[in-house]
Order: sequence, then C-alpha cells, then structure tokens
Amino acid sequence: MTAATGAPVRHRTPRATSAVPLNAARLLRVELRRNAMPWILPLIAALFWFDSYRPSTGTAPLYGLRTFWNLGQGHTIIDFGPFVAGVAAWMGSRDGRRGLADLVTATARPRWAAQLATWAATAIWAVAAYLLFAGVMFAMYAHQGVGGTPPWWWVAVGATAVAAFSAAGFAIGAYWPSRFAAPVAAFIGFLAMAVSTQTGFKHTSGWALILPANASGSFDGSARTDSGMFYPWLPDLPIARIMFLAGIAIAALGLTGLSARAGGQWLRRAAAVVTLAGVAAAGTAVGLAGTARDSGHGVVIPALHDAANDVPITYTPACGRAAGVPVCLNPAYRRWLPDMTAALAPVLAEVAGLPGAPVRATQVAAAYPSGDGGPPQAITLGGDPPVLRMSLGLLNMPGPCGLCAPVATKQFADQLRLLFAHAFAGAGNGSGSPVQQAVQAALLRGAGMPFAAQPGLMAATENFPGPGPGLATGPVYAAARRLAALPVAARHAWLAAHLAALRAGRLTLEELP
Amino acid sequence: MTTAGLHRPAPGSVPPPAAGTRRDRAAAGWQLARLYLVSRRVPIALALLAGLGALLWAALHWHWNIAGGAAARQFIPLTIQTGAAAVIAVTTYGPFGEPERAAGRWLPWLRLGAAVALTAVAFGALAAGAAAGGMPGGTLALLRNLGGMAGIGLLSAAVLGGAFGWTGPMAYLLITEGALAHRSATPWVWPTRPPHDRGGAICACLVIAAGLVLITVRGPRESGRESGPAS
Repeated sequence: MTAATGAPVRHRTPRATSAVPLNAARLLRVELRRNAMPWILPLIAALFWFDSYRPSTGTAPLYGLRTFWNLGQGHTIIDFGPFVAGVAAWMGSRDGRRGLADLVTATARPRWAAQLATWAATAIWAVAAYLLFAGVMFAMYAHQGVGGTPPWWWVAVGATAVAAFSAAGFAIGAYWPSRFAAPVAAFIGFLAMAVSTQTGFKHTSGWALILPANASGSFDGSARTDSGMFYPWLPDLPIARIMFLAGIAIAALGLTGLSARAGGQWLRRAAAVVTLAGVAAAGTAVGLAGTARDSGHGVVIPALHDAANDVPITYTPACGRAAGVPVCLNPAYRRWLPDMTAALAPVLAEVAGLPGAPVRATQVAAAYPSGDGGPPQAITLGGDPPVLRMSLGLLNMPGPCGLCAPVATKQFADQLRLLFAHAFAGAGNGSGSPVQQAVQAALLRGAGMPFAAQPGLMAATENFPGPGPGLATGPVYAAARRLAALPVAARHAWLAAHLAALRAGRLTLEELP
Repeated sequence: MTTAGLHRPAPGSVPPPAAGTRRDRAAAGWQLARLYLVSRRVPIALALLAGLGALLWAALHWHWNIAGGAAARQFIPLTIQTGAAAVIAVTTYGPFGEPERAAGRWLPWLRLGAAVALTAVAFGALAAGAAAGGMPGGTLALLRNLGGMAGIGLLSAAVLGGAFGWTGPMAYLLITEGALAHRSATPWVWPTRPPHDRGGAICACLVIAAGLVLITVRGPRESGRESGPAS
C-alpha cells in the first residue's frame, strides 16, 4: 500500500455558474486599472480640441456645417483611431513581449477569454473617452447657440470606428508581440484613413460611401446644412457604417482566437465562426452601401430606410418684416433674421404693389436635384399669391465660413438682392432673356447697386448663371440704364403692365421704355 | 590573509580584455555597440525603414497622392516620414532600465550614435524612395521634415518613454495636416513652409538638436509602473 492510495479521494468542486461572470468582471476591472489607454487620452484630448473642435468653430453656427469637418470628413476618427490602434497593439502584445505567453496559456481561463478582457478594457477606455469628448464638444456648440439638432448617429459611427481601430490594433499586437507593433498599428491606421479620404474625394456614391472619412451624400450636397433643421438626419448610411466597422472589429477579435494558444479546439472553431460573421457583416454593409441613392435629404439605403424619418421636422418660424412683407426663417437661422430683412427691404420696396410681387418670404429646405439643367437658385418666386422661397442652405450666411473667406453682411445683402431680382424677373435657373437681365440690372440699381459693380457681384455669387467679371456695357446695360433713369412711378407702372410678358420671355430690349 | 591579494590574478588565468591592446578594445567596443543595437531592436527598425522607403517609392510612382489642396497632396509622404520618425523614437526603448544606466558608462554615446545613425539611414531610405519623382518639396524638404519629426520623436521618448515615443510624431502629423488645411504657416510647423525657408529649417534643427541632447543626456523615460506609458 502506498501513500497515494491511502490519501482521501478529492472530488473537483463543481464550478458555480455565477462565479464565471463575477470572475470576468473582476478580470475586466483589473485590466481597466492596468491599461495604458488612459495615459494617452490627454494627448488625444489636445488633438481633438486642435483638429476637430477648433476648426469647426470657424464655420457658421449650424450643426450641418459645424460637424462637416469633424464628423462628416471623419476628423474625430482620425484624431482617435490611429492612437487607439497603437495603444491597443501595445496591450495586445503585452504577454508576448514580456515572454509570458507560455505562462498565461497554462492558466485555467482560456487565453482568448483573457485577451478579450484586455481588449474590452482598452476599448471601454477609448470609446468612453470618444463619447465624452464628443459630448463636451456638443455641449460647447449648444452653449454657442448652434442651430439645428446634433447628428447623433454620426457620433455612434465614430464610437464604433474607435472600437474597430482598437480591435484591429489589438490583433496586430497579439500576432506580432514587438515594441514596433504599436507604431506600425498607428501608422496603418493613418494610412487607412488616408485611403478612406482619397477614395471619398473620388467616389461620391456607391460602395465608397461606407468609408468613414467620406463626407459625400449626408454632409456634402443638398443635405449639407438643412439636415437636423427641416428634416431629420437620415440614419441609413450611419447604420451601414456601424455594421461595417463592427464587422471589422468582430473579425479582428475573432482572428486573435485562431492561434493554437488561444484555447481548445472548440474555442478556436468558435473564433473562426466569429471571424466569418464579422467578415460577413462588413461585406453586407458594403453591399448595402452600393444600393444607396441621394434623396436630397441625405443618403437613402432602401433596405435600411424607415419612412418615418422622411417626416419633416415641425417648427415655429422666426418672422420679421421687410418693407411690410413678412419674412420667416427656420428658428435655427433666427440670428440672421435682421440681416435678411435689411437685405430684402430695398428690393421688396421697389416691387411693392405690383401684381406679381411676393406677399411673403419664407425659408425652404435646400434641394439640389433641379431636373431642368443648371444649378438650382437659392431664391425662387412662385405660387398664388406669390411667395418668395429662399433655400438659404445653398448660401454662405454672414459671418465665418470655414475654409472660405468670411462673408461680410454687405456682400451677403448684395447677393440676396441679386438673387431676388433674378427671381422676380422670371429668369429661372438660366441667365434669362436680355430683357430679364436688363430689368434685373435696373432693379439692382434701384436698390443702390451701381451698374459697374454688378458683373463682379454675379461672378462672386455661387452658382449664379450670369456672365463672368467684365464691364457693365452692351445693349442689356444700355436698356437697363434707360429703365433705371425713369421716375419711380413710371418704372413701377411699366412693370405692372408688362410683368407677365417679361416673365414669359416675350419682350425684346426695344420694348423697354 | 588579507584582501590585498585579491587584485592579483590567479596563476594561469586569462588577463581581462580591458587591459589588452587597442584591437581588443575595438573588439570590445564593437561588441558593446552590437549588443546595444540588438537590445534596441535596430535590425527590425532597419527593415521597417527600408519598407517605408519602398512604400514611399510606390506611393510616388503610382501616384497615390490624394486629390485636393496641399494637405491632401502631402498626406501620404508626410505619413511615411512620420512612420520613420516613430520607428527611430521607439528604438530608444531599453528593456534593462536602472541596471543598464548604472553600469553603462558608454550608454549616452550609444544612444546618441544610434539615434543619429538611424536618422541618417531613414533619410537615405526615404530619399531612395523619393527617387520615383514627385516628392512634394524635394529632398531638401524631406531632410528638414524627417529631421524635425525625428527630433519630436526623441523628445516624446524622453517625456513619455521609448515605447510611446511614436505618439509625438503622429500627433505632429495631425497638427501639420490641420495647419496645411487651414493655411497656417508658422515655422514651428515646418512641413507647411517652402523647402528653402530659413525659419522652418531653424525650427526643425532646434527640435532635433533638443531631442538628441535630451535623449543623450537623460535617455528615454522609464517608469516603474507596469502599465504606464513607458513600460
């Protein structure tokens, strides 16, 4: 008889199922405390302020413009992603770098589960910081009175991108336990964002919309300023991007479970399934983005679209008066109401009392697809009674203008008067007939703008279908000078008698008085 | 018996190499340098720098540049230069810590030599890559930008630790891109300045000089904390 046979038989204590999540939570807590990510967050905060927040304050205080640079072009992701990938690679390479891989493989918990805890702690720090920084940024915007509603879906895209960068970086570190894994992961992150930006500039539709730095569709184009004011931010493209980025994250995490040290055969098979699921999710998202179309309110993906998001936002307009005519704007544009009424007053006074004169002016949502060739005009006149419809989303409002030169109040007023005169003469989206051009020039002269300054103004007004800079000479300006030289009452009477024919394009220059 | 006899070598023992000829001292010096370079993973760094040179060549040869303004055009070349500076910064990371500092009389010179040599190799690799043509600013701008960024990497290694020295050049890349996009032209953001600009060159020289001095005299930051940025 040996000592071994005489020893009491020890039965393995069955593991309490409740201990598993408890242990996992404990492991996660340890990883959260011992994570390197918090060390890098002050640097990211400084970069976020410098690269994402600070440039945005140079744009007009509308959410569509304020967030174009940082969320539309993905600068919040650029500020976070590469650094998060680098630190995640550092965390992922920890055990291998320190020569502990064999030691930790022999522990009771599968290696993959422990790695996932390390990644989860890294991602929690990074995503929480992203949400905190974005929240502070939006709080600052709210404090500054930025108009509209914040694009929350795009914040969710950014948070998912940060998680995806952390997963990809972690996988790089897990497979290459080197001190160079961190800079290489960060470098790859920068290159990925560079490729995303480059592709976004070249491909403004189709699959390329899935790329996180592609601003086309939802931030560029017709939806650029009016999303969140006249209609909700459409969630279709953000959902597809979240699916794409989450798929990348899942696939990267699945890859870390494929190595022989990750765990048993079943666990590695599960990791393979997870990897395939991630690839499938990312691929599906790319396919969905390929079906996207621009609706004028943003990008619509039929399979993801909810018709409830097409319902316009109801609001109480902010109204003022210009020459007795009510001028009503979306409340997000309230700060520019005095500029608008001051700009419209002289031209509205000129046409007051005419049968085709507008009875009110109201702001409408901008829409690019005009369907009749040529760019749409920011101001149109139509309806019975006539209403002046102003798509102010197509214009640069007075004040800061982002990467363009600041817009002066007088410059804005001149452009608005030009667009009004163009619409009043019935010139449509083209440059108009010679008579319409002459009446437009005479109306502008009556509003205080010299003829000599008008060609320059037309050239400086975005999308205006007039001639380039030149001299105010020729038969059109000669006729305009004749009309402008008439007494106000005579000019008024001529317009009252000929307005319908003028707008129909039936008059010739010789018929002008 | 006294301890005086301990300084005398035992009969038949091999004399210590320090007391040998100049050739022996050179061999010992070479051995020391080789061990230092291996401990800093310089061979991998050289391979990465060569890879970055090849990447720059490919980017310029196949016109991977981004359409748009100066910020877009320079993004990929600047990113590659940043990658090279990050690699140089990370090689300052040493695994031995205090014992090496206490025993390594030649350590400051080894740090200086390795940093200068790697910067020179990085410039050579990227200049060879730039031979494909179309490098924004040419070789002079490459020298200035890379030198300055390497200086930032060395400075951040001194502050944050060698392992996290890469964060400095990467952060500087973002600052540069922002400055290019918004047409800011302070000489401290030298990639925004023309190649022959004196102010940008002076700033870049000051930064690399400061980085070399700091990394030579003080070395990269080392932390006792396991999860600290220097670990």
